[in-house]
Amino acid sequence: MELTRRDFLKASAAAAAFAAAGASGLAPRTAQAADEKGITWGKAPCRYCGVGCCVLVGVKDGKIVATKGDPAGPVNKGLNCIKGYFLGKALYGKDRLTHPLIRKGNKMVKASWDEALNLIASKYQEAITTHGPDSVGIYGSGQWTVFEGYTAVKLFKGGIGTNNVEPNARLCMASAVVAYMNTFGSDEPMGCYDDLDLGDTYILWGANMAEAHPVLFSRLIDNKLKNPKVRLIDIATRKTRTTQMADEYIPMVPQGDLAALNAIVHVILRDKLYDEAFVKQHVSFKRGTENQPYGLKDKEAPKEEPKNLSFEEFKELMKPMTPEWAEKLSGIPAATIVKLAHIYGDKNRKVNSLWTMGVNQHVRGVWVNNLIYNVHLLTGKIGKKGENPLSLTGQPSACGTAREVGTFAHRLPADMVVMNEAHRKKTAEIWGIDPKKISPKMGLHTIEMYRALDRGELKCLWIQCTNPFQSIPNLNRYRKAANGRKAFIVVSDIYPTRSTEVADVILPSATWVEKEGVFGNTERRTQHWFKMINPPGEAREDTWQLIEFAKRLGLGHLFPYSEKHFYKEMWEEYRRFTIGSGKDLAPYETYHKVRGLRWPVKADGKETRWRYVDFDDPYVKKGEGLKFYKAPGHKANVWFRPYEPAAEAPDREYPFWFCTGRLLEHWHTATMTGRVPELMRAMPGATLEMHPDDAKRMGIKNRDKVRVSSRRGSIVLPAELNGRGKPEKGNVFTTFFDETKLINELCIDAFDPLSKEPDFKKCAVKIEKA
Amino acid sequence: MNFKTWTIARRCVQLAMIALLASPLTGLSIFSGNLAAADLLGLPLADPLAFLQVLLGSRVLVWSYLVSALAVVGFYFLLGGRSFCGWVCPVGLFTELADRLRKRLGTGQTTLPLRFNRWALALVLVVAALTSVPLFEVLSPIGMVGRAIAFGSLLPLLLVSVIVLCEVVVAQRVWCRSLCPLGGLYALVGRFSPLRVGFRPERCTHCNDCLQVCPVQEVLLPSLEKGALQVTAGDCTRCMACQEVCPAKALTINAGYHS
Amino acid sequence: MDDSSADSAISRRLFLKGSALSALVLALGGAAVSAVYLRSAQARDFYLRPPGALDEKRFLAACVKCGKCAQACPYRSIVMAGGEAGVGIGTPHIIARETPCYLCSDLPCVKACPSGALDKGLQEIEKITMGTAVIVDREGCLSIRGLRCEVCYRQCPLIDKAITIEPRHNVRTGEHTIMEPVIHKDKCVGCGICEKVCVREKSVIVVQKRVEKQEDFYEF
Repeated sequence: MELTRRDFLKASAAAAAFAAAGASGLAPRTAQAADEKGITWGKAPCRYCGVGCCVLVGVKDGKIVATKGDPAGPVNKGLNCIKGYFLGKALYGKDRLTHPLIRKGNKMVKASWDEALNLIASKYQEAITTHGPDSVGIYGSGQWTVFEGYTAVKLFKGGIGTNNVEPNARLCMASAVVAYMNTFGSDEPMGCYDDLDLGDTYILWGANMAEAHPVLFSRLIDNKLKNPKVRLIDIATRKTRTTQMADEYIPMVPQGDLAALNAIVHVILRDKLYDEAFVKQHVSFKRGTENQPYGLKDKEAPKEEPKNLSFEEFKELMKPMTPEWAEKLSGIPAATIVKLAHIYGDKNRKVNSLWTMGVNQHVRGVWVNNLIYNVHLLTGKIGKKGENPLSLTGQPSACGTAREVGTFAHRLPADMVVMNEAHRKKTAEIWGIDPKKISPKMGLHTIEMYRALDRGELKCLWIQCTNPFQSIPNLNRYRKAANGRKAFIVVSDIYPTRSTEVADVILPSATWVEKEGVFGNTERRTQHWFKMINPPGEAREDTWQLIEFAKRLGLGHLFPYSEKHFYKEMWEEYRRFTIGSGKDLAPYETYHKVRGLRWPVKADGKETRWRYVDFDDPYVKKGEGLKFYKAPGHKANVWFRPYEPAAEAPDREYPFWFCTGRLLEHWHTATMTGRVPELMRAMPGATLEMHPDDAKRMGIKNRDKVRVSSRRGSIVLPAELNGRGKPEKGNVFTTFFDETKLINELCIDAFDPLSKEPDFKKCAVKIEKA
Repeated sequence: MNFKTWTIARRCVQLAMIALLASPLTGLSIFSGNLAAADLLGLPLADPLAFLQVLLGSRVLVWSYLVSALAVVGFYFLLGGRSFCGWVCPVGLFTELADRLRKRLGTGQTTLPLRFNRWALALVLVVAALTSVPLFEVLSPIGMVGRAIAFGSLLPLLLVSVIVLCEVVVAQRVWCRSLCPLGGLYALVGRFSPLRVGFRPERCTHCNDCLQVCPVQEVLLPSLEKGALQVTAGDCTRCMACQEVCPAKALTINAGYHS
Repeated sequence: MDDSSADSAISRRLFLKGSALSALVLALGGAAVSAVYLRSAQARDFYLRPPGALDEKRFLAACVKCGKCAQACPYRSIVMAGGEAGVGIGTPHIIARETPCYLCSDLPCVKACPSGALDKGLQEIEKITMGTAVIVDREGCLSIRGLRCEVCYRQCPLIDKAITIEPRHNVRTGEHTIMEPVIHKDKCVGCGICEKVCVREKSVIVVQKRVEKQEDFYEF
């Protein structure tokens, strides 16, 4: 469908009107009248993690004066963690960015929006004209609202014609996504949080739920308190607060999950713990390509050439993966592996697996995800109330925005991919563009984006709502490239960060309730909020920034939404992608009233708690039972995935495993929580967790400063020998929130060949007293 | 030309003491603590009066503390008891400078007898033994000055100012002369100190200039009035102001015991 | 001194004239001193003493206020009390909400103390008895109210010993857990780190005078 000239003009006018109003010119809106204190309350999802707690935001005189957990929120029933408790304060730090800044030499100089946007547009246009559309890109975020992500995807893929659109979710959930796709043909969990209330066995694979999913963990533990049968098993390389509340702790050597899970499958097959009928009806067996690279060289192009296997062939391939074999590689005793297999195979137990970054940020992360599904698929413990594998999401909208809208280098909305002609055609139809405009070639994934920047091939990069120059691995290479002014870098954020400091243009953004938005959490719950306050100074939401930019590239016609109903119109357009896909979203107004709805939303407006099952999923007819209707042949894939070692293991020179992660008090790189004085007082700086025996051997006492170095970088941290996390011997652990300690300089930018997700959990370091 | 060498030397030592008190603020670790107890280049030093109060009040004896207190007593015994007052104590420095002001104003003519500081000493020790309160450590202007320099605890200096004000307006050098129990202790220690100010009666012209400059004039009287060959050792602070001012070179330093 | 020595005009001048002014000044000074300083330190407040401190009465007797412990502390946790401490003026103490004690394993403060006011018999940080942490405001404690806080617990240097988490069912929501921090008096050393990190505006957990555990034979 081509736009007539009249449509084009009308659309451009609409875009211009929207832009002139500044999008945020839409007045803040709250749902109820003011209470007796003069405070008006409105609902929103929490700005932080993937749990997606529901909160109420109290506004008075144009400022947030209070936030509280929403008692009507089904996720959290009025509870929050302390990050959520201080949500209001995070927006009011003293150094909030309020106007655009343009680099002049070593200084950042105040500029007008026009100046900044004109400069950005001219740089991008120059690069596109001279070097082609693939010389530019955008790096966004799993903390983008749906609208921001959708605008970026439509503009870059449908307008500029490049697939160089990536989210920071590449660094957290990509492995889970690829595994969902290659196992079930559709992304995102089939279960939901209700499984945490209804099951009786929970096996955590490398997930510190107590600190990374606080309120969800509280919900899980309550199940344990109410039901003596409930067992929580913590399989990890480090003792955490999760371990403290678990029934059993199983320490594991890093990378050992590949071996242990294979051995569990082996025992399930050996001891006939699998559900033969289930396997026959619902499972296909496949083998992928092994010995693929670790992403350590630029522009490596891995292959995945799947082959079909029969069940017998699969069993044959699994024969060598005995518990004894796995014990050597994982450190988990063979007897324990057998026991785990029998727990998974126990017909009297409702077994759930839970995992996040320990599994995903892994050079074979997709494989580990696949192996977990193997266990559940072979035993038939899937698609049941209280019994599912549940991939926990890290960010508030990695699901809702990055994954569902498709802000990845190979993706289009609703599980579609750029490589598929039919998908491009459908997308072009909804967008009203020529399908040839969408490039069929996968764009640069995150690590390759920064490498291309370093090589001088990526000329322009726009970073929104994330802080890669603190959070990507092998940071020294990429910070050096940025500081070497090898590309034109734009950063849209709300505070000065380690990324704004390397930018050519800094744009002040509106955040959270300073704009209307939608997030989607771990359990497919789509949650909406209205704009409640104006952003400070001249800050503007990222959607407006992108549309203004689009206008200047002559692409304003892509956003023909009216000023008054901007979000609704964009939503209804995006929603068209989801109808009939099994990920159906509801009409916009539905979300205004409810505390979110889990998709697929049924015709009567009711949400779906369990996918692929006839008792809940609208796409499965009564009597069909379980149906993986998105998978080819309606059969989920069990993949043969063997053990392959980590990219960099400890050796004589670098004898320790280096693992990184998060903690409860701070969110990611602490750009927001770092502006909350209470949270900074509670947790002022990063430490290096060490095993006391290792420390004693080196004469290191608690709080002594130690220098930890890898082949890529070196940093000084205070040692913590008896803290909340206790690594196993030969392992050390630190967190990445501290902007004065760029620990990612030590991390290795090796990544999973299928998901391109880097391994933040394993590389080799040495320790010395500082 | 009359270089007041002794005064210059004394000022250097007094200022060095203040510098040592302040040195931890600069990150130097040559000195820590204050005049109640200190550590100088690894050598522990202790105020003997503080030691006695602790022993009587808490019944706790730390041998290293005893030894360091004895070392200090021994040191001052040799150099003359109240040489601490004249050469080291920062309160001595401030009150000495305030006394110059008093002389110019012509006020503060009252004096209390020197021996009152023995009573002050006794009071402190009795209170410590009976109530466990180390009275002198609580009220000590020496401690207050030391802590003001090392820690910036400035408010207690109000009490020190009251003392100085009193000395300028009412009673000259009353603290050091008659009230300071530590001075009383060192006076007792110094009674038999071998290093003393000597007197040559044959040279004395009875000009009484020495009396004008001496803060503890009573110690000179036996020499001036009865020709004693050494200035009374107990309360003499060895400040050598008398020797500096004497036109007749009648005052000297000598060691030993000559009556 | 002989009052009747006629030719010594100086001698006469050196005697106390019994002037009312001098007496008045001395009396006033004495009164000021007594009023402000001669008050028991404990009458004002609980002072959190450095590790190894003797019980308060003996500590005040033994402390010579030299400040060496404060200078030895690498975190500048130890500060010197002012006049408001009465008899404790110039004694070292710790204001936990500002800078708590970080339990240096080599106890430099104890080593520095010359007089034994900080008992040199203290060798291990687990045996420190500075005080006992107490949650003084249960209504204000976010953890007790059901939120996920427990910062005091996670930051406690004796985690799972001095503070443990006692989980219980959240009756109001019906599907969450209240994770209450519980302090164990025999293990809590009173360092005050919990008081420092509490995220409420006024810390709901404070270090108070040490409370001894009351033992009986019940074991659960």
